[in-house]
Amino acid sequence: MILRTVTTLIVFLLVASGVSMAKISSTTASIQPTDWSSYKARFVSEAGRVVDDANGNISHSEGQGYGLLLAYLAGSKADFDLIWSFTRTEFLLRDDGLAVWKWDPNSKPHVTDANNASDGDILIAYALSLAGSGWGRVDLMETAKSMIGKIGKLNVLESQKRLLLLPGVAGFSEQDRDDGPVINPSYWIFEAFAEFADLDPSTDWNRLAKDGLSLLDASRGGTSSLPADWMSAKMRLKPAKGFKAEFGYNSLRIPLYMMRAGVTDRSQLEPFRKGMSPDGSNVAIVDVSTGSATEMLSDPGYTIIPALIDCVLDKTKLPEALTTFQPTVYYPSTLHLLSLSFAHSQHPECL
Amino acid sequence: MKRTRLFLIPALAGLVGLVALNHDHVPLFSAANSSVRAGSKTPQVAREEEGSAEYDVAQSVPSTDSSRPKTDASGAKPSPKVDETALRYFARQGDTRRLEAEIARLRILYPDWTPPVDPTAIAPQADIALDAMWKLYSASKFSEVRKAIQEKQTAQPGWIPPADLTARLELAESREQLVNASNLKQYDTVIRIGSSNNSLLTCSDVDVLWRVAEAFAQTKRITRAKDAYGYILDNCTKPEERLATVQKALALLDRNDLDALLDREKPQTGGGMEFDAIRDDLARKAVSDAGGDATMPVAQTDLARVEKLAEEIVEPSDPLILGWYYLSRNDVQAAEKWFKLSGDRAKSASASQGLALAMIAQSRFAEAERNIYEWRDNSDSARAVYMASVANLLAQDPPVEIAPVVLQRMVPEVVLAKDANAAQQLGWYAYLLNQFETASGWFSTALEWKPEDEPSSYGLVLARQQMGDLTGVAQIQRRWAGRSERIARLGEPGGRQQGAVPLAERFGATPQQSITSALPAGNAGKLLPPPSIADRVANTIAQTQTGNATLPVSPRKIAPETDRETTAEPRIARRSAATGERRPPSGCTKTIDAQMLSPERALPHGWCLMEMNRPLEAAAAFERALLSSSEAGRSDAAYGQSLAYLRAGLADKAAVAASKARQQQSRQVELEIALLSSRATEAFNAGRMPETILALDQRARIAPERSDLMVLRGYAYMRLHRLSEALRVFEAVAATGNKEGLRGISAVNSARKRDY
Repeated sequence: MILRTVTTLIVFLLVASGVSMAKISSTTASIQPTDWSSYKARFVSEAGRVVDDANGNISHSEGQGYGLLLAYLAGSKADFDLIWSFTRTEFLLRDDGLAVWKWDPNSKPHVTDANNASDGDILIAYALSLAGSGWGRVDLMETAKSMIGKIGKLNVLESQKRLLLLPGVAGFSEQDRDDGPVINPSYWIFEAFAEFADLDPSTDWNRLAKDGLSLLDASRGGTSSLPADWMSAKMRLKPAKGFKAEFGYNSLRIPLYMMRAGVTDRSQLEPFRKGMSPDGSNVAIVDVSTGSATEMLSDPGYTIIPALIDCVLDKTKLPEALTTFQPTVYYPSTLHLLSLSFAHSQHPECL
Repeated sequence: MKRTRLFLIPALAGLVGLVALNHDHVPLFSAANSSVRAGSKTPQVAREEEGSAEYDVAQSVPSTDSSRPKTDASGAKPSPKVDETALRYFARQGDTRRLEAEIARLRILYPDWTPPVDPTAIAPQADIALDAMWKLYSASKFSEVRKAIQEKQTAQPGWIPPADLTARLELAESREQLVNASNLKQYDTVIRIGSSNNSLLTCSDVDVLWRVAEAFAQTKRITRAKDAYGYILDNCTKPEERLATVQKALALLDRNDLDALLDREKPQTGGGMEFDAIRDDLARKAVSDAGGDATMPVAQTDLARVEKLAEEIVEPSDPLILGWYYLSRNDVQAAEKWFKLSGDRAKSASASQGLALAMIAQSRFAEAERNIYEWRDNSDSARAVYMASVANLLAQDPPVEIAPVVLQRMVPEVVLAKDANAAQQLGWYAYLLNQFETASGWFSTALEWKPEDEPSSYGLVLARQQMGDLTGVAQIQRRWAGRSERIARLGEPGGRQQGAVPLAERFGATPQQSITSALPAGNAGKLLPPPSIADRVANTIAQTQTGNATLPVSPRKIAPETDRETTAEPRIARRSAATGERRPPSGCTKTIDAQMLSPERALPHGWCLMEMNRPLEAAAAFERALLSSSEAGRSDAAYGQSLAYLRAGLADKAAVAASKARQQQSRQVELEIALLSSRATEAFNAGRMPETILALDQRARIAPERSDLMVLRGYAYMRLHRLSEALRVFEAVAATGNKEGLRGISAVNSARKRDY
């Protein structure tokens, strides 16, 4: 395809950690039009709603954010505007300007819970800022800036000399829970923080990224080398009360986020590859208290992630079955397209 | 169509859209705002809220270009090129609602513009893609319009969508967002969107105006809410929307603000005013609310309005509201009049109950009884009113003749309700008719329902004396030894004249007490005396009535009701802490010397005796149980003995008993409270007022003062001539709706008169 050219990378160093973080400045599509079309046909409604077909066809701010990001990476202004119009009118309802987290087709009104989810807000703001600068859209950029400011103000806090990202404005802080603050490491969308740092000086986004990587380091060392989806950061990191102590569907996207942000450090990526793919191909849901796998996932959207780690660390080519995209279920298919986009733009040699 | 519109001018006029999110970071009211304000012709309202909020509401009649939103900067006034694409599209589609809205919108933007005579007459759009966009637009598929615009721009670089389409699209999306935010109670978002989209705020979409008004009210910007509702009433014409506007405001504004809105009503073509029905309902609500709260003021106009309605509309409900209102204001004649009117229109429990209360208040007890009798089973409160009528009817002074049929129907009700006070009054009634045996039966029954009731015991001892049952008299005297002087001194020279009825007892229980006192719960009938006794009592009274029951009476004096103290007794623990077992209710009917029992067996025996209401024997059993080897057993025994002495009225012994073993904290406090209540009552009865106050003060430190003890306190103060303190206490009691308080107040007042 003519449209496929190499994406420009602006790499900058996080001096303190020695970890390199990449910032995408894409003006051309890194997702192939046919892949985007089949994704869209399966998971994006006519009205621009991204449908989580594994969860009763609800939508959430995370899905809308992924949809916007994928539409941008596919270079589709029309689909971006479609999804954005829906997102703005149906999700951006909160008094603080952030998005509500859940939209249910079976309830009236469709939104009944005014809570936010910070990963959804981050994805939306990130996609808006990419489209705003990439396509020269002032309206999108203004909204992005305003959201980024609120995310930093309401969801980022310092605790025990670490900068933490709360999963939501309400319900996770020290005041809200005995074991608070509670975090979800997979909400650290590292690539977005590099973008945010340029747009919003009021929060130290680079430090949030750096501290996030340190938290991941700190979460290793038990019987399992993997973090749990939900962790208490009250004292030393440990699985949060009331959640399964498992490396689950949330966490398996962490190494993808790291790699997309330019992390290439073997010591950071290797534990994920080993821990999440004990048999070398399928992805495991792992009980972090025992280190044993409780479920094995074979969807290419999941298995491409350890394969990408192989690519980044050892230049191993991706298995051919993973390089073609077939929509399966919303969440793995989304991760699949993000992975392929990353390979196309940054590691074409692995394809 | 009016051309005025509501402007919600953002304080930061230079900022667009969601930038306003950051309002807390920037100073309020930047200079940029002034130029916008200058265009509005009416002065700003709601000044007092400017400091805390960042939006102003202004009503504006745009008549010059400078007052228009989105106006050209030039200020020149060429005939504007009006984009009529949408208008013509809607016309062709026959979408009159959108057509009207579009005409309204364009008129606001272009005051000099006149709509085409026949918008459908123009040839259809040549641009098929644009036509499709309008089609999507009118199907409210706004996100798809966005997509279509981008697709056309990609296919046809340089194509720019009509400004009208983008403006309308922006507005429509904002409207959706506003409605969704409003449904989710995100009121700041509602105000933010309303403020940056003034074109949304027109009579053609009154729902948005309502939502913005609600958002103002819910965020305590009441003046702005009033302005928004007022804007609708001043400008919008659809009658059903105007009415709905006021109904929406009802829930959010207070009465004064509502009245100001109602004043914007229009005369109706058929006579009357537009909001008459709402004014009626407001007046009804005000009077009805005041009926439940004697301290709530009611505007004379509301009262007059409801009275007029009550007379003009032949329904029972309005007079009923008035009845309860006047009853709460102690205007019993007026209350009676309205309850009667309500009942005449349609009989109801409420009207009859109110009527009976009004009659009781006028000492027309027989009528009250007659009115409420058929409704007595309707509710607990109806039954309470019935029992109050009965008790008062019996307690009249001088006694009135009660028709046999009335007496006969009263008796089973008293029995069913297990109303000890009414039973006692039946006893006195019989006593006055010299039916001493019957009187004795009723006093015994009263004691069965309210053991250790001194007045009933006194009645019983008098009746036995009259019957010459000296053994019976002595038995009661022994039982009350040291606890009731008048029982002890019965028969002594200088004692009460034989046959005289102690008035304090006859009038000690007021109807209001009966109304407010709890009725016996649930298992009424299980422990009733055999019906034959009750029937016999009633029949005897009914059959042997004589008219010559006049007795010497002493001047009526007010006595506090101190005999309710037994209700203060802690509930007997249903489970033994030592054994954890439920104690059987039987098994102690035989008299056993507690000393013969093992300490372990003595404990349940003591509880059993408590349940049989034989407290002194129970105390002995508990004494034995105190020798138990287990600490829990000893604790239980001490607790039981303390309760037993309390029930027997022996507060000092109870205090000693309580200290015989360690108690749980909760029991300790419970006993302490009961002991102090008992001490206060005992001291009061013995005429030791300072001690009464002291005990009450001590009790007040560990438990809230019950209203009956407050009454006791009030009378203690009175006896000490501390009248203003007494008055303060009675006023506090009266404020709870307890009529004892009112009685106390009048007692203080008459004492003051005497003092003059």
